[in-house]
Amino acid sequence: MWARHVRDRRPFQYVVGNEHWRDLVVAVRDGVLIPRPETEAVVDMVRNVEGFADGWWADLGTGSGAIAVAVARELGPEGKVFAVDVSEVAIEVARLNVQRYGMQDKVEIRHGSWFEPLEDVKGKLMGVISNPPYIPTDDLPRLQPEVGWHEPKLALDGGKDGLEHLLHLCEGLSSVLKPGGFFVFETNGNKQSEFLVDLISTKWSSSFHNVEAVLDFAEIKRFVTGYRR
Amino acid sequence: MELIKELRSKQEEIEGLKSLVTNACEEKDMREMAAEELLETVEEEKRLQHELFRSLLPKDEADERDCILEVRAGTGGEEASLFAMDIFRMYEKYAQKNGWKFDVIGIMESAVKGYKEASGTISGPGAFGKLKFESGIHRVQRVPVTEKSGRLHTSAVSVAVLPQADEVDVQLRNEDLRIDTYRSGGSGGQSVNTTDSAVRVTHIPTGTVVAIQDERSQHMNKAKALKILRARLYEIERQRLHMNRSKLRSEQIGSGDRSERIRTYNFPQGRVTDHRVGITHHSIADVMEGENLDVFIDALLLQEEMDAIASFAA
Ligand SMILES: C[S@@+](CC[C@H](N)C(=O)[O-])C[C@H]1O[C@@H](n2cnc3c(N)ncnc32)[C@H](O)[C@@H]1O
Repeated sequence: MWARHVRDRRPFQYVVGNEHWRDLVVAVRDGVLIPRPETEAVVDMVRNVEGFADGWWADLGTGSGAIAVAVARELGPEGKVFAVDVSEVAIEVARLNVQRYGMQDKVEIRHGSWFEPLEDVKGKLMGVISNPPYIPTDDLPRLQPEVGWHEPKLALDGGKDGLEHLLHLCEGLSSVLKPGGFFVFETNGNKQSEFLVDLISTKWSSSFHNVEAVLDFAEIKRFVTGYRR
Repeated sequence: MELIKELRSKQEEIEGLKSLVTNACEEKDMREMAAEELLETVEEEKRLQHELFRSLLPKDEADERDCILEVRAGTGGEEASLFAMDIFRMYEKYAQKNGWKFDVIGIMESAVKGYKEASGTISGPGAFGKLKFESGIHRVQRVPVTEKSGRLHTSAVSVAVLPQADEVDVQLRNEDLRIDTYRSGGSGGQSVNTTDSAVRVTHIPTGTVVAIQDERSQHMNKAKALKILRARLYEIERQRLHMNRSKLRSEQIGSGDRSERIRTYNFPQGRVTDHRVGITHHSIADVMEGENLDVFIDALLLQEEMDAIASFAA
């Protein structure tokens, strides 16, 4: 097992089956993305949204369910998270983590592609959170072996500029968010964030306001956040 | 105000008793009983006066707070690190005795499994008020277990006790902070897998640096680092105010001067001496078990009070 870890550059987190993320110990296994430290900040951004605790939230591409569980743990009695993923393995692992933290009443797991499983809650969401695959396809062969050789392509591959899923998410946003609703997306960094901020605040300026890029701890524009009008 | 009322009624009582005692018409037994009671009541009056006086003295607002304990091995190499561990555990036991909560923040071990550095939080009513006198250099004299020739060593450990501060006391501005974490360079995010969660926070205006690596997630390490940073900055501010208030006071005990040698633990002779109040306790084992630290602390508290009275009167 250890030989495999060292020789094959198998991620340590897959070997032990867990990743420490915020104050959680998140179960992970082959086939789901190991949650990253950058993403920890997303939960703090959600917490800063006025009245967040009693809203309905969606975590799109929930993977291990890390974000969904961490947000759920902060919610009040009315609050709820819909955790969506297209991957069967992700759904299974997310379910495990939801159980691990006793969040079955707060997190509803739904299988499907992005907004598709959310038809019934359209226009009712207080917020949409997503860390979709955003690595440009061309960059995949050059990734750190722990990532490129072992983590699921489905969780990493963002298409030509890495923006394929992010753009799809931006387009669907306004129909699921309720007025005043919040969104936060993680991106590959400065280039993607700047592009998206620019796009949303020009092309969709009638639907969104306070759109901005937010820095991660390494001073990289890692997130795009904003509000629906 | 309650105190004043109580004091008034005691004084009235005293008047009453006095007149009883001097009243020749009363029976002898009665007068003797009154005299006895008078003595007691006068004692009570004194106690109340003292308490009233104390309540008028300026209080250190930080006394009621929780605190952060930092212990560092100083001169004396590995032996110092072993003593640092003993001291750290002494406070842990002392905290337990007082019903306070003790949480380890981080420990940096030395080669012999002593502590190069250790820090923890101590939470409970009045924790800082009692432990603030512990800041300074603690010196130990003993034959180290690592020493084969049986020679006596002297080494030193520095202790710092800081009152805890929250977001309201110390508002940290993002632009004043530099946060360093493990980075392989490049894009970060989904492209990188790391198991290194160490975080180093630098407060740029003061140059204060706090590094934490004990927790397994970056989020937790950062939260801890910020907590310690707040306490440090709060302490800097507190010291500044303290100095301003009066030059004299800053030279008094409990000023938190960390370079002052405050106590010696002499193992061969089984004694602990506090150099500030000149008190020696002859059961070192008890002290190390967290017992009897109060002997020093109470004396130091009393001295603080007397200093306060002196500077109040001046
Ligand atoms: C980068 S991972 C993020 C996982 C998790 N939210 C996190 O932050 O650790 C992206 C996730 O999106 C999922 N995903 C990819 N395509 C999807 C689609 N069309 N619909 C829903 N989820 C999708 C992947 O299965 C993967 O779990």
